[in-house]
Amino acid sequence: MEDVKQEKQLSIPEYFMLGAKKGFYITVEVIAPAMVMAYVIITFLQLSGLMPLIGQLLGPVMGLFGLPGEASVVLLAAFFAKAAGAATAASLYAAGVLTAEEATILFPACITMGTLVGHFARIVLVCKVRPVYYPIMLATPLIDAAIVMVLTRLVLALYR
Amino acid sequence: MDQKQTSTTLRGQKVTWKGWASLIFLILCFSGVFAHQDNFLRAFDFTALLGQFGHAEGAKVSIQGTGGSGAREAFILALTMVPTTMMAQGLIEVCQHLGAITAAGKLFQPFFRVLLGVPGTVGLAFVSSFTSSDVAAFMTKNMADEKLITDDHRTIFAAYQYAGSATINNTIGSGAALLPITVLPVGIIIALIVVVKFIGANLVRLYLAARRKKSTAE
Repeated sequence: MEDVKQEKQLSIPEYFMLGAKKGFYITVEVIAPAMVMAYVIITFLQLSGLMPLIGQLLGPVMGLFGLPGEASVVLLAAFFAKAAGAATAASLYAAGVLTAEEATILFPACITMGTLVGHFARIVLVCKVRPVYYPIMLATPLIDAAIVMVLTRLVLALYR
Repeated sequence: MDQKQTSTTLRGQKVTWKGWASLIFLILCFSGVFAHQDNFLRAFDFTALLGQFGHAEGAKVSIQGTGGSGAREAFILALTMVPTTMMAQGLIEVCQHLGAITAAGKLFQPFFRVLLGVPGTVGLAFVSSFTSSDVAAFMTKNMADEKLITDDHRTIFAAYQYAGSATINNTIGSGAALLPITVLPVGIIIALIVVVKFIGANLVRLYLAARRKKSTAE
């Protein structure tokens, strides 16, 4: 909303170009660093042999959502940044660890629970929510993410 | 549009036919309904408009290549996402300017009380929360400070905003890596996130109600 309230009224093509410019900077400033971080973490986990271990350890939990244990790495990355979660899912798909369907289940979950701490400051603290509610606030995106994975799985079953 | 129809909550934010048309365009464009059309309707599909990267003479794959890994692969992949986010943000900027997001708020407005248990006053903040994390949060704080909403309303509404914040921009921007992979249209992904945002906020609503009940019982 705020972005629109500019001094000078722009024409439609100018609005498009303004948005496109923003998109360019989002990719360069937010997505590219998150992608590089996510890929480096994944590569480290694969080279160090930790990835199969994580897969085995968290397999039963992730299995509830129709996902392999390795998918937990995606949610862990999303915890730090939404873009890192999405990039991790993309890299695991590229590595053949996740199928396209599994990556799709993780997609809305990454956005829902992503950047948990950063957005806690930007939203919950800015809204001045009473501290007594902080735990339930932090829990909400996590619960939402669990629900959205189940929902997406259902939608996928219908979509097929 | 009739002035009277403009409610107090979205005051000064009239929804014009352009707003409705651009909202319909956004929904159709991101929903993927036209993706497999063989006629002119394909011109209204996000993925179709995004097009393809070309292949070098004789090459089977486009610029991303195959077999890449690590930081180098991540960088190339991020580069291939630039056109996606540029086009998506461009379209969103135009549609937002034309009033698509305000129209979406209008659409939801009658349901605020039912869906979230908060008054329609939050309309504008609700609308802005589709595309921005910060604007809605500031508005919420101000509304609570001015006693336009209660502390419970603030808590419920903050819970709504917190999960999957700036839904549209984050799904297309932060989620760009998954756009070429997802088997569901991005419009459905956004809709699913909005649905769970409402579910989550209602869990908080239930929690607050239970808490209240307990404290009055004691």
